[in-house]
Formats: sequence, C-alpha cells, structure tokens
Amino acid sequence: MSHGGSDKCEPNLVPLLDLVLQLVMFFMLCANFVLEQTSVAIVLPKAIAAKALTQGETYTIFLNVNAEGKVILSPGDQYKDSEGRTTETLDNAAQVETFLKRRAREDRAAVGAAANADVPLRSVVILRVHKDCRFEKTYPIMKACRLAGYTRVQLRALFDGNHD
Amino acid sequence: MSRREHKPGTDFVEPDLPITPMLDMSFQLLAFFILTFNPAPTEGQIALALPQDTGGPSTAAPSIVEDKPLHYIIRVSAADNGTIEKLTVLEADGVNPTGRDIPASVTAFRDEVKALAALVTQSKKTGKLTLEIGEKLLQEYVVQLVDQGLRAGFTDISPVPLDKKKR
Repeated sequence: MSHGGSDKCEPNLVPLLDLVLQLVMFFMLCANFVLEQTSVAIVLPKAIAAKALTQGETYTIFLNVNAEGKVILSPGDQYKDSEGRTTETLDNAAQVETFLKRRAREDRAAVGAAANADVPLRSVVILRVHKDCRFEKTYPIMKACRLAGYTRVQLRALFDGNHD
Repeated sequence: MSRREHKPGTDFVEPDLPITPMLDMSFQLLAFFILTFNPAPTEGQIALALPQDTGGPSTAAPSIVEDKPLHYIIRVSAADNGTIEKLTVLEADGVNPTGRDIPASVTAFRDEVKALAALVTQSKKTGKLTLEIGEKLLQEYVVQLVDQGLRAGFTDISPVPLDKKKR
C-alpha cells in the first residue's frame, strides 16, 4: 500500500484551541473578580447560621472595620471632614455617623423625599468586622447606623462548614 | 496581468492559519491562571437587630392581647484577652435579678439558648434575646454567640454593651 508523498496528516487543533480559550476566559474572569467594595485586610469570623448573600440588594454601604476599630470605606466612598479634607478611613464613630447621615440624605433625595425623615432608607449597611475587633469598637458603629436612620444592617461572616 | 488572474496550472492555495503557536500561548495563559487561581471564601450575612433607642416610654397604646415576647438577657463578661470570662442568664421580668451563672464557654451558651428556645416554643410566644456584652469581647465571640442564638431559633437578637450608659 502506498501513500501519496505530499499528503500530510495533521490533527485538527481548532476544537482544542476553542476549549483552551474558554478555560482561559473562565480563569481570567474568576481571577479578576475582585470584590470592589470589600477590604482584603478584614478577616471575618465564622458562622454557621450566616445566610447566603441576597443578589437583589442594589444599594449597599460597606463599612469594613479593621482589628483596631477603624472603618475603611469602599473605594467609591469618601468622608469629607469640616475642613474639606477627604479620607477613606474613619477613626471614630462620630465620623461614621456623619458619613452615614450624609448618605441617608442622599438616599432620601434619590427617592424624592429629601425633607421626609420617616421615609425608610433604601440602602443596606453591611458591616464587615475583623474577628479580632473588640465590642467596644463595633457597638458605637452599630449605634451610628441607628442614629443615621439605617434599620437594615447586616453582619458579614464566613460560612463555617464544621457543624458541631 | 490582472491581479485576479491565476497562472495557468497553479492550484488554489488555502490560507494556512498557524494554530500551534496560538495553542502554545493559550496553554501558557491557562497554566498562569490555574496557578494563580485563589477563589475568595464564601461570605454569608447575619441580619442584625439594632439596639433600641434609649428614650422615654412608648406613646403607643398598650395592647389588650398579651403578646409580649419572652425576653431573656444573657450577660457576657469578657476577659482582658477578649475571650468569654463569665456568662449569666437573666429573665427580663424574672424574679431573680442576679441571674444564674453558666460555664463560660460557647458550648454552654449553646445548650442554654437551646433550652430557652424550647421554653419559648412551649409558651407559644415569640422570643427575644439580648446579649449584654463586655467591652473587650472580640468580634469572633460576638458572632459565635449570635450564631448560636440564631441556630437555637431566636430571631430577635440584640447585642448591647454591659454598661447601660453606653447604649
């Protein structure tokens, strides 16, 4: 049996390439999925009863509280003090309250109820508190949420698979 | 000679796209992303009952129907290192104002709140749990206590400081 000298037998690499590119896309998307509003420096405590995150929440305010009790705002948020200086780290609960009251005014203005303090605020405050932060630091932040008019407050925790 | 004319006798040459270098590059990219893949741990949420305003008495008319929830208070004293030092169980309207001490551990707390939740179920009322927490207690323990309360069946759990002036 003879073969033609010029005939080449090449494997079809195109489907393989398609597959590999799809895998590359998957890993690229997963790798670039940075939680923009969260802070990597916060190590969350574990909880079994923590519920899955609700995807429907459009308006959220993230307060990342580090081990020292300082609040790190999301990249998009800024706190402006009385002298006009801006910062993304709040050192005390008074600053948190001022920040949240400003956000509350913005929330009310967005729904056309700027003057009506009885209108429930649309945003949810999400507290991401470091596991080594002391209660004396976290409680004033919770209190600041209430004083600013936010009633929907969530604590974030990591799912703990070790059921005892 | 026009551009579109072929030389007589020349076969039509199909353009050959080099797939192999592209595949090599794709494999390299794939290897890079697989090696650097580090998915973030899954986060969950715990809805928090914010502490109540410490104002005057409510102006609302008292309810004719007795639907007052069974209110339990667990006092959690904290050690200097942020762990649980002492646990005391009190009933808000109970006869024993000093309360009852239980072992200072999350396990003992879990057993206690399970027992309290069973009492709430028996009475067919709603339950309310207030955690009076020492200032130095770490968030890790606060979340563990709230977690155990939720798992026992309490839905209204309020963490407040031990010192009433700071509420």
